[in-house]
Amino acid sequence: MAEVRLVDIEKKYGNFLAVPKQSLTIHDGEFLVLLGPSGCGKTTTMRMIAGLEDITSGDIMIKGERINDKPPKDRDIAMVFQNYGLYPHMTVRQNIEYPLKLRGMDKASRKDRVMETAEKVELDALLERRPSELSGGQRQRVALARAIVRTPSIFLMDEPLSNLDAKLRVTMRAELKHLHHELGVTTVYVTHDQMEAMTLASRVAVMREGRIVQLDTPKKIYAEPADLFVAGFIGSPSMNLIDGAVKGGVFRTDGVEVPVDLGDRDGVVLGIRPEELEITQDTDAAIGGKLYALELTGESTLVTLRNGPTSVCARGHADFEADIDSPCHLVPKDGARFHLFDRASGERLR
Amino acid sequence: MKKTLAYLGERALLTLISVVLLFPIAWMFLTAFKQPRDAYSLSLNFEPTLQNFVTVFSDPWNLGSMVMNSVIVATVTVLIAVPCAALAAYSFSRFRVKGRKFLFFLILSTQFIPAVVIVLPFFLMFRQLDMLDTRLALIIVNLAIVTPFVIWMIKGFIDAIPTDSEEAAMIDGASRLRVIKDIVMPMAAPGIMTSSIFCFILTWNEFLFALILSRRDAVTLPVGLVSFRTERGDLWELMSAAGVMITVPIFIMALFIQKHFTRGMTAGAVK
Repeated sequence: MAEVRLVDIEKKYGNFLAVPKQSLTIHDGEFLVLLGPSGCGKTTTMRMIAGLEDITSGDIMIKGERINDKPPKDRDIAMVFQNYGLYPHMTVRQNIEYPLKLRGMDKASRKDRVMETAEKVELDALLERRPSELSGGQRQRVALARAIVRTPSIFLMDEPLSNLDAKLRVTMRAELKHLHHELGVTTVYVTHDQMEAMTLASRVAVMREGRIVQLDTPKKIYAEPADLFVAGFIGSPSMNLIDGAVKGGVFRTDGVEVPVDLGDRDGVVLGIRPEELEITQDTDAAIGGKLYALELTGESTLVTLRNGPTSVCARGHADFEADIDSPCHLVPKDGARFHLFDRASGERLR
Repeated sequence: MKKTLAYLGERALLTLISVVLLFPIAWMFLTAFKQPRDAYSLSLNFEPTLQNFVTVFSDPWNLGSMVMNSVIVATVTVLIAVPCAALAAYSFSRFRVKGRKFLFFLILSTQFIPAVVIVLPFFLMFRQLDMLDTRLALIIVNLAIVTPFVIWMIKGFIDAIPTDSEEAAMIDGASRLRVIKDIVMPMAAPGIMTSSIFCFILTWNEFLFALILSRRDAVTLPVGLVSFRTERGDLWELMSAAGVMITVPIFIMALFIQKHFTRGMTAGAVK
C-alpha cells in the first residue's frame, strides 16, 4: 500500500508563497499528473514529496507514515528528472546499478537485476556506454531504468519527456503507460503538456498559482472544466471561450446566438470545444462570421472564423476548402456541450 | 593581399611575443649546461657539461635537501589544502546559509593583503612557538596563502555542475557525503586537478615566507637560488642548473595532467 497524502502542505520562499496550504491524496497504484503552466508550483510540490525541498508547514504521509523529516533516501521513492540527472562519469550499467549498490545488494544479484531492467527498457546493448555517447531518448531510458531497478513504492517524474522530440515523446509516452500498467507503482507525474496528462493519468490535478484548481479523471476534466482557466488549458486546440450576455435564454454576442439554460445575466463566457462544432451552409446558423484561417492538421482542418472581436475555431473535414474572408457558418453538433462561466470570477455557471 | 599581410603581421607579432617570453627560459636551460667561462656568452657554440648539476648537489650547495624540502612542503600543502578547499567550495556552492556571501568575501579578502605586511607577524608567531626553520611552519603559511585561492577556484567548477545528478543520487540512497564522494568530486575532477596544480605551483615557487622563516634546515629551492649570489659574484651556471631543477617537475606535471584541462566530466549528465 503506497498511498501518498499531502495534508495542509504549504511552501514559502521568504515572503513569497509558492504553494498555498492545500491537501491531496494520491491513491495506491494511481498515476496522478500534476498539470499546469510554468511556475504554478507543480515541481515544487513534487520536490516536497521527494524531500528535496523542505515544507514550510503541513505533513506528508507515505504509507500512513509521516515523512516530513526523513531524507530523500529513506522515503522509498525514485525520481526521473527533466534533465535526466545521470552520472556522466559512470557507464549505463553503473548508472542503473548505483541505487542497488547503495542499498548493499550483492554483486551477483545486482548484475542480474541490472540486466533484467535494461532489457525492459531496451538498453541491454548499451550497458558499457557512457551517457555522453547516448541519444536523448536513450538517456531518458537510462534515467527510467535507474528509477525502476529497485522497485520503489512511488515514482516521481518531473517532466521526463519535455526534452525529447515530438515523435520520441509519443513513443516514450506509450512506454511509460505500459510500464505503469506492468509495475502498478504509485506514480506522480509533473507536466505542462495537457496531452501527456490526458493520455497518461488516472487522475489529473490542474494547478494554477500554487493551488489545485481541479482534481479529477482526464475524462471529467475535459467534459466539465471547473473554471475558465481549466477550460482554456485542457484540449488541443483549446476550447472556444466567447464573451457575451444571456437574455431570454439565449447567449448573444457578435455573430453568435446560442440557446442556453441560464437566466438573464451579463458578463458570461460561453465555452464550446472546436470538435463539437461543424461547418454548415445554413446562413441562419448559430455562429457566423468571415473565414479567418484554415489550418490542415492531417486528419482534419481547423477552421477559424471571426466576427468583430469574436473568434471561433471548429474542427472540420480534412478536405474542407474555402477562401479566406468568405462568409462561414458553424453549428453545434448534436449533443454538443455548452459550458458557461462567469467572466469576473471565472467560475463555472453551468 | 590584405589578408596575407594581416596573417604575416599576426605571425610576426606572435613570434615576437614568444621570443620575449621564451628567451629567459631558453637562456636558463642553455646556461645550466655551460662551463663558468661561457656563462655570459650568447653564442650557442659551447662545450656542454653536466658538471653544474653535480656541483649544485654537493657541498656547500646541497641542493638535494632543498629539493626534499620543496617537495615535502608543496606536496603536504596540496594534500591538505585541496580536500579541505573542495569541501568548503561545495558548501559555499550548495548551501544557502545566512552570511554565506560575506564569509566567502572574507576568505577571498585574505588574498588582498600584501604578503610583505604579514610576514613579520608570522615570523614573530613562529619564533614564539619555536617553529622557525621548520617545514611545518612553511606548510602552515602556505596553507594560509593557497587555501582561499583554491576554494575560490574549485567553487567555480562546482557551480558549473548541475544539481540534478546530486539530487538523483540522494534519492537513489546516498548520504550527502556519499554524494560528494561518488558524484560531485568525480564530476569536478578536472577542476580539482587544475586547482591542485596551481596550488602546487604557488607553493613550489613561494619565496618571501620561505626566505624569512627558514635559515638552514627548511630552506626551499627558490630560497636556495639566492645562495648562488656569492662574494665571487653571481654563479649563473649553477643558478641556472638549480633553476632547471625547479622548473622541470612543474613542466612534467603540467604535461602529464594536461588532458584533464581539455575535457570536462559533466558531458552527458543533463540534456
